Amino acid sequence: MGTAMSLDEDLITTSQQVSVESKSPRELAIARFQRDRLAKWALFVIVFYLVVAIFAPLICSLLGISPYALDGKALNDFGLPKGSFGGISGAHWLGVEPGTGRDILARLIYGARISMLVGFLATLVTTAIGIIVGVVSGYKRGMVDAVIGRITDLTLAFPSLLLMIALTRPIIQRLESFGIPEGNTSRIVYIILILGVFGWVYVARIVRGQTLSLREREFVEAARASGAGTWRIVFKELMPNLWAPVIVTVTLAIPGYVATESTLSFLGLGMLPPTASWGAMLGDSVRYYRADPTYLFIPGIALIVLVLAFNVVGDAVRDALDPKGDRQNIA
Amino acid sequence: MFLFVVRRLFFAVLLLLAVSVVTYLLFSALPVDPAALTCGKNCKPDIIAANRIRLGYDKSIVEQYWLFLKGIFVGRDYGMGQAAFSCPAPSFGYSFAQHECVTTLIGRTFPVTAYLSIGAFIMWMIIGVGSGAIAALNKGKWQDRLANAFTAVGVSLPTFYVGLLVLFSVVIWLGILPFPDYVSPLEDPIKFLNAMILPWLTLAILSAASYTRLTRNGMLEAMNEDFVRLGVAKGLSRSVVLRKYVMRAAMVPIVTIAGLDFASLLGGAIITESVFSLPGMGKLAIRSVVESDLPVLVGTTLVSAVFIVLANVIVDIMYGVLDPRVRVK
Amino acid sequence: MKMRRIGVAVGFVLVASTLTASCGGGYDNTINILTNGEQIAHLDPQRNYTGDDLAFAGSTIQRSLTTYKFQAGDAGSEITGDLATDTGTSSNGGKVWAFTLKDGLKYEDGSVITCADVAYGVSRSFATDVITDGPSYAMTYLDVKGEYPGPYKATAAQQAAYDKAVTCDGNTITFNLKSTVADFNYTTTLLTFSPVPKAKDTGEKYDMHPISSGPYKIESYEVGKALVLVRNDQWDIATDTERKAYADKIVYHFGLEESAMDERLIADSGQDKTAVTAGILPESLKTVFEGDKALAKRAVNYYDPFVGYTNLNVKNLSCLDVRKAIYLALDREALRKAGGGSYTGDFADGFIKPLMKIDYKKPTQLAGLNEDGSPNVEAAKAAMAAAETKCPEVAAHAKDGLKFYYPDTEIWKKALAIWIDSMGKAGIKIKPEAVGDPAQYWPTVMNPETDYDIVRGGWAPDWANASTVIPELFTTGGGFNLTRNASDPDYKTFETKVNDARNTLDRTAQGVKWQELNQFVVDRLWALPGTFTRMQSMWGSKIENSFQWGPFGAFCYGNLKVQLEKK
Repeated sequence: MGTAMSLDEDLITTSQQVSVESKSPRELAIARFQRDRLAKWALFVIVFYLVVAIFAPLICSLLGISPYALDGKALNDFGLPKGSFGGISGAHWLGVEPGTGRDILARLIYGARISMLVGFLATLVTTAIGIIVGVVSGYKRGMVDAVIGRITDLTLAFPSLLLMIALTRPIIQRLESFGIPEGNTSRIVYIILILGVFGWVYVARIVRGQTLSLREREFVEAARASGAGTWRIVFKELMPNLWAPVIVTVTLAIPGYVATESTLSFLGLGMLPPTASWGAMLGDSVRYYRADPTYLFIPGIALIVLVLAFNVVGDAVRDALDPKGDRQNIA
Repeated sequence: MFLFVVRRLFFAVLLLLAVSVVTYLLFSALPVDPAALTCGKNCKPDIIAANRIRLGYDKSIVEQYWLFLKGIFVGRDYGMGQAAFSCPAPSFGYSFAQHECVTTLIGRTFPVTAYLSIGAFIMWMIIGVGSGAIAALNKGKWQDRLANAFTAVGVSLPTFYVGLLVLFSVVIWLGILPFPDYVSPLEDPIKFLNAMILPWLTLAILSAASYTRLTRNGMLEAMNEDFVRLGVAKGLSRSVVLRKYVMRAAMVPIVTIAGLDFASLLGGAIITESVFSLPGMGKLAIRSVVESDLPVLVGTTLVSAVFIVLANVIVDIMYGVLDPRVRVK
Repeated sequence: MKMRRIGVAVGFVLVASTLTASCGGGYDNTINILTNGEQIAHLDPQRNYTGDDLAFAGSTIQRSLTTYKFQAGDAGSEITGDLATDTGTSSNGGKVWAFTLKDGLKYEDGSVITCADVAYGVSRSFATDVITDGPSYAMTYLDVKGEYPGPYKATAAQQAAYDKAVTCDGNTITFNLKSTVADFNYTTTLLTFSPVPKAKDTGEKYDMHPISSGPYKIESYEVGKALVLVRNDQWDIATDTERKAYADKIVYHFGLEESAMDERLIADSGQDKTAVTAGILPESLKTVFEGDKALAKRAVNYYDPFVGYTNLNVKNLSCLDVRKAIYLALDREALRKAGGGSYTGDFADGFIKPLMKIDYKKPTQLAGLNEDGSPNVEAAKAAMAAAETKCPEVAAHAKDGLKFYYPDTEIWKKALAIWIDSMGKAGIKIKPEAVGDPAQYWPTVMNPETDYDIVRGGWAPDWANASTVIPELFTTGGGFNLTRNASDPDYKTFETKVNDARNTLDRTAQGVKWQELNQFVVDRLWALPGTFTRMQSMWGSKIENSFQWGPFGAFCYGNLKVQLEKK
């Protein structure tokens, strides 16, 4: 990263900022990030969620709860949780699921695994494809850009949600015939695959637009003039300057894909029972807005907290990485 | 510039043709037998076979596609004897699940979707760009934090969750509005607004979020651009700089996304239309998936593709207008 | 504490309704039917075959030869002449049935309803390529020689064969049957026996705009939006003893969000004061029946004609001990709670509901089955152990995983979780197979290609005779047999007994035979009895005549009445 920023750093030193010149950009970025106390808290929240997701079985067995155990005794004759606030009790800290009496906390913890898995993997796939395609397309221009552009157009032209639903069964069947284990594994693979097929386009569009502007900029022209090869320019000059928009996209994408998982679940493409996912919980809980409002809010709040954390961290990272961030604002 | 537009339009037509081929192949390869779904309890192999012929699924895919394509230009006839009927051009086929020509179905549902999209678009652009600008101008202050939180919540919560929360809180908990019950604006404008305000709001909350963010970040970027600083250095007033340079530069990514978002809305807002019981194209489309109603599925997919492709052309042209540095040859 | 929170929520609704009411939300002499369905499955009389739709179309736009009386309680199960002057006369030992049409019967366009129109209507039900989904009783019962493909494709000779089976003499229509059908005049309550004028028949498209013979006619019909019925001024009340047609207009609202429907009826504002809806979601039950007394008065909780059960694929699960193990291990009480507790219904003891007084006798239950619906894990384990020695292959299959096809809805996801949990305790594994859309569930599992082990089932008799239950569900010729039981060693015996029962003329003696056959199936567990279901419905505060019509388990839509404001 140090050399990556060198040309931009040169530009900066021509202006007012002299005091921080002695530190490397990476150190600078870390220092900037550490100054943001909110961001540190947010990072802690994300790590906490991740740890909980990874060690879900351990945590649940320590707490003595299970996401699958039915508890009919916790339900009244209507199948609704006994007691107030959705059946919150010593045995069930966040209450029980209406209809089955399963422990909501345990399902939330286990559900985090599926949701985070889908969110992270889908983001990884779409962002990786999107960056590569976008940079190549924007930098190469000409025929390459035209061909990629047509593929992009074709992908964008399809109503993605509709296709995701329509293609579920045939593609999952195909995947299973390729030896991917049936059940939830093939469903997760399908969801990530189909989100990848449709999702890269948005990243690619943004990256391409940025690349188009960047390649006209002085430092890229300078690199070209000094005989730098395409790959060098792409990786050393363009990529570093794409971090900001990409990070914004990623921080929005992860929670966005977690939400997509729940929408697919709402439309009947979710995990198979008895597996828990936040999407399934959100979809189920909205039906109890009147009968069991506690249940309605618990998965929603869990999701909102995660998303807010990602946003705060995303912003902080973006501000920290952006070497121009500290400069005086014109407004 | 003119040549560029013509070329883009030409490619657009080619693209739509490609979309229609891919759609047709994709859906014809689905392992559902539409004929088997027509007879329910009484299904016997000979009935299924007879229905397959009646629906035209006995022919090869190429021939089916050709008939479909021809139908768009000259219309199409179905059935025989007393049970015969036809769908006039432009025909996208006939829905045996709904007993109507697909074109009629699309024509009937499209206005609803158009009203939904236009209203929501106006709302989210005002909210999104407005709050984004406020956040950018007050970077780091509470306005910025608030806009940020709004973005996060809006972008992350699934549509059905927000939609139902909006519906329940406004209609049931607050009791401000009656339950949305769609009527055409030509019939009863007040009832129409009553029915549309919540879906508009839902889509606006969800979509404005990403615009808030894009606007904020775009403006912050632009404020640090050399040409903007040059403008300030030249002594131009703050408002002129903001309007002429900052907003303009920030608008580039927004126009891209906005055009595409709007176009894909026109193809049907599946979840919103379902939650608020709006008889629009999204609902028509999802129903066709549910019922394996291939003609409707292909028809709605194509129509929404038309909007997206057109929007793409417009966005490309706007790119050139907004950012003079990216004028494509 | 819980109760108060809900009380508060209802308080808000009451405020809301007074607000909207004071904003000028009046109501008209219009019945509003709310549904989340996108359309009525079929309005074409020969294709209509669901309880609710038959009650709707049969009480508003279509008349048949005979009809159930439009009355509450047991009286609603009695039949009377509709288009026909009486309930028909049989001769030749119940093999020939004749009905005479009333005078002064007209369609909405003013043309006269003739005997030929009824004969033509019935003939349409043979054209199963166009006229899909309808009941097949006409094809089963009528003595048409040779193949008859329906009126659209029939050759002159084929049509002549049909015209011999169904003859018209002036106003009298005569049906010649293959064998004795003692209660054929119950069959004729189905709209299969409703008239269709040949000149107005549009085949496939007739479903969207059938010509009315009843007190209402279709003004407009938009799938996904609404069906609007207005008065048919050609209908003469003098020809009709049952239909009262109180309301000026009936509007069927389609495609509504499920939970919003319940809320609209609870809120009871404006036009929703004259709304009705069939079915209340489990999560609304407490609010409706225990939240507010005024609300509970606008709702009903009753036994509908349906029995819910679970089909086992007898071909795959060819071992009775495995089937026993499944039944014994199942936590039926948990399933019932997931569906809304006692509002789901009672535990079924067989496939014939006690409502069918002649045909019902409580069958002896499987030894070890707990009456309170709780699982008997020990007995289930013992049954599995027995299976291990008797039929190791089937037992291994059950341990490896049984494919359970279920509709992918929230309630069924929970039901599957319960199945998985309870089967696990007996060492049986369940592989959930989701069918993404509930509407495709029946077509999917009825497809002979679908390889399932367990699927759900739900059935109501077509009329009050178990001849429309036991043969339909468990013989190979039955329209809803999902048990694949043809290979069972006892099947041949079963079929012989069914044919014997069908041909028994004495109704009481026949009833005893159905009781025995019910026991026969319960003993062999081709399917597992589930619940004798209950149904809940709600209506607006200005609706009268909201009784549930016994044979259909639905409102008697055509006779719903709006309580008009006193001026």
